[in-house]
Amino acid sequence: MSAWREYLVPVVVFALVGLLPAVLSQYWLHIVILILMWAFLSSAWNILGGFAGQHSLGHGLFMGIGAYLTAYMANTFALNPWISLVLGALLAGLAGAFVGYATFRSGIKGAYFALVTIAITEAAVYVVSNWRALGQASGLSVPLVGTGLSRLQFDSKAGFFYIILVLALLAVLLSQWLSRRRFGYRLIAVRENEDAAEALGVDTLMTKIQATALSAALCAVGGTFYVQYFTYVEPRSVFGETISIQILLYSIIGGLGTVWGPIVGAAVLVPIAEWVRGTFGQTLSGLNVFVYGAILVLVMLFMPRGIVGVARSLQRRIRPRREGVEPAASSAGAGDTARERGGA
Amino acid sequence: MSAHLLAVENLTRRFGGLTAVNDVSFHVDRGEVVGLIGPNGAGKTTIFNLVSGALAPSAGVITFKGENIAGLKAHQICKRGITRTFQVVQPFPDITALENVMIGAYVRHGSRTAVEKAAQQALERVGMGHKAGVLGKDLTLMELKRLEIGKALATEPELLLLDEMAAGLTPVEIDDMLTLVRQLNAEGMTLLVVEHVMKVIMNLCHRITVLNFGAKIAEGTPAEISRNQAVLDAYLGGEEEYVA
Amino acid sequence: MTFSSDVILQALASGILIGGVFALISIGLTLIWGVMKIINFAHGEFLMIGLYIAYFLITGWGWDPYLTALVTIPGLFLIGALIFRVTIRPILKDPTMNQIMLTLGVSLMLQSGAQMLFKADVLSVQTKYKTIIMNLGPVAVSLPEIIAFVGSVATTLILYYYLRTTDMGRSIRASAQNPAAATLMGIDVRTTYLLAFGLGSATLGAAATLLLPFYYTSPTVGMFLGLIAFVVVVLGGMGNFLGAFVGGLIIGLTESLGAALFQGSLSRVFTFGIFILFLLFRPEGVLARRRA
Repeated sequence: MSAWREYLVPVVVFALVGLLPAVLSQYWLHIVILILMWAFLSSAWNILGGFAGQHSLGHGLFMGIGAYLTAYMANTFALNPWISLVLGALLAGLAGAFVGYATFRSGIKGAYFALVTIAITEAAVYVVSNWRALGQASGLSVPLVGTGLSRLQFDSKAGFFYIILVLALLAVLLSQWLSRRRFGYRLIAVRENEDAAEALGVDTLMTKIQATALSAALCAVGGTFYVQYFTYVEPRSVFGETISIQILLYSIIGGLGTVWGPIVGAAVLVPIAEWVRGTFGQTLSGLNVFVYGAILVLVMLFMPRGIVGVARSLQRRIRPRREGVEPAASSAGAGDTARERGGA
Repeated sequence: MSAHLLAVENLTRRFGGLTAVNDVSFHVDRGEVVGLIGPNGAGKTTIFNLVSGALAPSAGVITFKGENIAGLKAHQICKRGITRTFQVVQPFPDITALENVMIGAYVRHGSRTAVEKAAQQALERVGMGHKAGVLGKDLTLMELKRLEIGKALATEPELLLLDEMAAGLTPVEIDDMLTLVRQLNAEGMTLLVVEHVMKVIMNLCHRITVLNFGAKIAEGTPAEISRNQAVLDAYLGGEEEYVA
Repeated sequence: MTFSSDVILQALASGILIGGVFALISIGLTLIWGVMKIINFAHGEFLMIGLYIAYFLITGWGWDPYLTALVTIPGLFLIGALIFRVTIRPILKDPTMNQIMLTLGVSLMLQSGAQMLFKADVLSVQTKYKTIIMNLGPVAVSLPEIIAFVGSVATTLILYYYLRTTDMGRSIRASAQNPAAATLMGIDVRTTYLLAFGLGSATLGAAATLLLPFYYTSPTVGMFLGLIAFVVVVLGGMGNFLGAFVGGLIIGLTESLGAALFQGSLSRVFTFGIFILFLLFRPEGVLARRRA
């Protein structure tokens, strides 16, 4: 596929999705907004977690920075949310660079990195829960000062829908663009084999720090959208372990390290969870989380490469096999360890 | 200031109480193939790691093109013109052979077209042009060894470090590998090789440095080395295999 | 803020006592990591199950709190072994990410399952032990805290000597160091992994019995205690038994000093602050020597 077509496909797909407000009820429009919001956040995570293979379980920290900064600035300085969006992204980018530097500098990776990032995002919960200016445990509301694009507040869901639609499209285009650029290849090199990457001139430490910062900054943008849409934020709705897991869940189920994985994952999972919540929310609170957990376990056991991964291997099976390609023997997901083949 | 392409002087590396490389000096001139040999544990791979920046030396100077590169990181040394291959092949398994090589080519080129072109050329130089679209994890060991060299070539090194390129190969494959490396040298590439298989060393190298227990015990042409008593003792003292 | 040295002494004493339990909670995690290089992200939820088992035995059937160990320890061993057999063993060779996700999935299921079964209520037990207070100068500690500390140290030592001296323990350690060599020596690595996972989980049964008389249980209790275990394991240097014990004491002390010095959950900030400082300046863990 030539380069311009790779960008055209998402534009066309999202343009078609853009017709939905004409046909959907408010409830379903809300679901689609949630899908796009989680797809956006998960795409942001996917840059670090999927492409660079560094499994952060702490991205709630960055989403929270965006959400809280926006709400705080609106309350205290009546700052325009668009400015907060940029400030939040910058602040989260800095925080991401710091987290990346502190961990990667000392060689922390794999499950260890996951543990450390969980601890950091949980620490943020307790910090914010005790921070008077941030409303402590009861959180912050966004004052409604009028509507319109310039205020990032809308009378109808359709306004939010188009904002998040454009953001999600930009995330897809960014992923697509990265996957064909030097930086994108460096991310993959870091994921696949750090020693080899370093030997081939890739500054692996800097690459990981940059990936963390970029991914964090985008998550903060998602946080700004979150608080503008829901007009309210409390510590555990953005920071903390549960949200951090939710952010990456869609990438994992959809297909780790793929451009469309987060989108597909969110499009499949969010409606299921919302339906469960809507149907059993009163009687069995927590069932939607249970369903997420069960899906996660089943996907890891039976289709570890996610939905996009399965689609790809089906596609490869249908297409005539190129010379020398053996059927992939391992059931592994995005390989983060190079395995020696043959002897030596 | 020496005129050598690479000059290693009094290189020492300690791991806790163990001195893996002890006061070793040698040099490589442009256009040469220099071999590092020695029994297992002699410090060959450690020297490779020191020269390529995977490890920092405890003491000593490594001069490359007149600049001391001792203690620089591997990616910095790669950009200055030294690239290594690994004894245990280190492919990027989930991307194609071409993309594997492109990661090296991105050191010298920015635009994707230039990178793809340079990578395809590097693949062809190592006889892998027809495997460009195959995933790293689907290649055979011999193909991976070629890919390993292709990735390194794509960084356009002035000095190429080859670590045990014959290890694990059949005699026929070793001959192919020898042909390939000789070809690279004929095209002007300077090489520093670590090798266990004597046939490769003796056929390929202009000069050889012999190590034992981390120290240099001999240096000379292959003919001189094969007559050197200290070398024979070292190899007979250890139970090392020195024939393929 | 005013506080006397008595307050500090009191905090030190409770910190060390609870630190012993934190250490015990972490030992299972570190054992499993050391043997099969897997972080069980459902570790805290296993402990939560133990706490609920103990709670219902005490309140429903009137058991003595410490008698519940007879059920919690083997119960958690079986639950751990079962979950390992069904979910973790099939993916032992998969990438780290998949293993993390799988155990996270198990953790979400257990946590939300508990929420559906028991609602979000915080439950605790009233026992006669709780009223027995020991005075040591200005320091007063309750009997359950002392029992918890002593029991934790004892459990840790028993596990340690089991791994050192018994054949099965040696097989576990051999499988940890070199699975391939262990297989060649006739050790069934798959069984030893199962055993190690069961044992790592069984320690949580002991911890649950020891904790409940002066602690509480709720569907999310595992989230916090699991996190404590993660922090302790990172502090102690992954896979290091003694390190986990020292890490447990450090976190116990910071938690308890934090609670004495700061109000409410601000003490948690103190704990995580210490953790992040360690991470920045001593990432190899408290006991590790600097690499050459």
